[in-house]
Amino acid sequence: MLGRFRHGYVAPAVLLVAGLLYAPFLWTAYLSFTRYDGLEPAQWIGGHNFAKLLEDPALLTSIRNTLIWVAGTMVLPVGLGLLVAVLSYDIRGGAWFRVPFLLPYALSGAGLAMVWSPILSHDGIANRLLGVDTAFLQEEPVNTVAMLLVWTWQQLGVNMLLFVVGLQSIPKAPIEAARLDGAGSWALFRFVIWPLMRPLTAVVVGLALVASLKTFDIVWVLTQGGPGRNSETLAVTMYKETFVASDYGYGSAVAVMLTVVTGLASYLYLKRQVAR
Amino acid sequence: MFRSRVVTLGVAALVLTACGGGGGEQPQKKTELTLYNDKGAWTKYFDEMGALSKQSIGLGMKPTGYTDSAQYQAFIKASFRTDVKPDLFTWQTGGMLEEIVRQKQVAETTDIWQQAIQAGDLSKDLQPYYTIGGKQYCVPMNVAYWGMFYNKKIFDKYGLEAPETWDDLIKVADTLKKNNVKAFYHTSVLFSFVWFEQLLAGSDPDLYDRLSTGQAKYTDPGVVQVMEKWKSLIDAGYFINPGDKTDPGDVLKNGKAAMVSFGTWFNTSMTQRDLKAGEDYDFFVIPNVNPALPKTSMIFESGPLCSLTKGADPAANKKYLQWWTTAEAQEKWATSRGDVSANPKVSIADKALGTVTKDAGSGKYRLVNRYFEATPPPVLTAALDGFGKFVTEPGSYKEVLDTIQKAADEYWSTHQ
Repeated sequence: MLGRFRHGYVAPAVLLVAGLLYAPFLWTAYLSFTRYDGLEPAQWIGGHNFAKLLEDPALLTSIRNTLIWVAGTMVLPVGLGLLVAVLSYDIRGGAWFRVPFLLPYALSGAGLAMVWSPILSHDGIANRLLGVDTAFLQEEPVNTVAMLLVWTWQQLGVNMLLFVVGLQSIPKAPIEAARLDGAGSWALFRFVIWPLMRPLTAVVVGLALVASLKTFDIVWVLTQGGPGRNSETLAVTMYKETFVASDYGYGSAVAVMLTVVTGLASYLYLKRQVAR
Repeated sequence: MFRSRVVTLGVAALVLTACGGGGGEQPQKKTELTLYNDKGAWTKYFDEMGALSKQSIGLGMKPTGYTDSAQYQAFIKASFRTDVKPDLFTWQTGGMLEEIVRQKQVAETTDIWQQAIQAGDLSKDLQPYYTIGGKQYCVPMNVAYWGMFYNKKIFDKYGLEAPETWDDLIKVADTLKKNNVKAFYHTSVLFSFVWFEQLLAGSDPDLYDRLSTGQAKYTDPGVVQVMEKWKSLIDAGYFINPGDKTDPGDVLKNGKAAMVSFGTWFNTSMTQRDLKAGEDYDFFVIPNVNPALPKTSMIFESGPLCSLTKGADPAANKKYLQWWTTAEAQEKWATSRGDVSANPKVSIADKALGTVTKDAGSGKYRLVNRYFEATPPPVLTAALDGFGKFVTEPGSYKEVLDTIQKAADEYWSTHQ
């Protein structure tokens, strides 16, 4: 009955997706091959922006910092989230123990940075409490690590919550069987719980991977990528080149590179997880 | 089947209509204009101006203030291609104004300028900053002269006077240092250029001008010497930590630093903190580093208030800009913020600022366009990052100059 016009039903959705997702992406990809300041017509310059990427020392710093964010996110918010989930699971009052870890998640990235700015600034609370004189937001890579710790403070809770859900969904039978076979706590976790949680871990790690690759707001509010450009991440570089320097072409080239890296990392990671 | 086809076409038409512009719109008659600006903290003062203009010329004004200038500039540039256009908007003189004038986006204001100069509401000295290709664009939203605000109580405590020579200034800094007081404020973000422009303009203002137009290089010996001078001041321990996030108004109020160099608009920060000029704080013109220069170099800035060529009601926009230059409007705009005015008829309440404005108007100083306006945007971005790095690691000055010069080479290779 629908005949050849049946596709018409999906047209509004397709139009929206094409207009709001595909078109901007293709436009950005096109701009990455141009010189464009947001005013004069874009001028085609071929691969010049990508060649410039390769020899830009600021971009190398940006890539290094982004890698610190990715590695740090896996160890801290994800790793500690798992640890807190496992330690607080199946104990009396465990839910109450977990609540404080969840509260910071209510803050937005920018709000989070505003809260931590007076703590980490040179004359801030952290230096006074610790009795040290450390430039937490100025020295590299201390500033990236400091911001990563702030990020951990916020993100640990949600990762913990996801892991708790994973733990709760594990069937009791294999755990009891392992206990009867004399498995200790570590062996139980390593050989029974961890493998059973793999599907959920894949999701948590995948989300954390993408979130860390596009780290922007916390860095922008706390250091604006500085001093100099020493705490920039790829997303901050993309923003600065596009909107601060008005070099839309080069900013778009960074955006394309970031998209390719994020897409590739997610694809390779998920492919490996699915293969298992 | 036919019905489904009609529904689909209908939906698609609605979507396209929603996405499309309102082309072919007739000019409207507006009674209230929108004024987009990147001075979010001044909303209260813009509101007061809106109320006054409604009363005086029957044309109200509603401000929309941004606090992030990058976001603001992106919005204004995007508005040139969409139907969401501001009636009035603030911008920057120099390369940024030239950029948008070249695109024929900004309404010409030559006749407003001619009438205002004739009526004595605008000074001829200001005109070059608003002139592109022999025509004027926009009107001065504000003007500011840069100098040193100082904490008078600290100066009085240690028996210090406002310095008249560079050596005097260093003696003041030394006395403060002996008493464990940091002499100067500086920062690694945004205003990281302040000491560079001051030291360069006070050492060799011609070199400053050549640098702004790409005729000199950041790696030239004169510029390197300025960075070395700046480094020596940092090494001497005169500055507070550049990573200190305390608002500079509070830095001066609390005596964290005894002196803060900013434009006269910084007086608004003092007013907002209930500080009294002449009692709690005061202002002096920063002496030249090079005493042999014939005139003291003074950093000067003027921010434009503009309207678009394709505005919704060009006549109303023009009427508003014309009113903005009048003594009535400027008296209110300057006094409410405790600032100076572009209109020479306006009396400045603050004695020190009043003297500076009068002296600047009489040609006592060599006015030097602020680095922020004088430098092309891509070079400025590299320079702000570079100076931010330098104040944190003063030993990196040669690397910093090389990086800025690289950006300058790239810019001037296509813009000479």
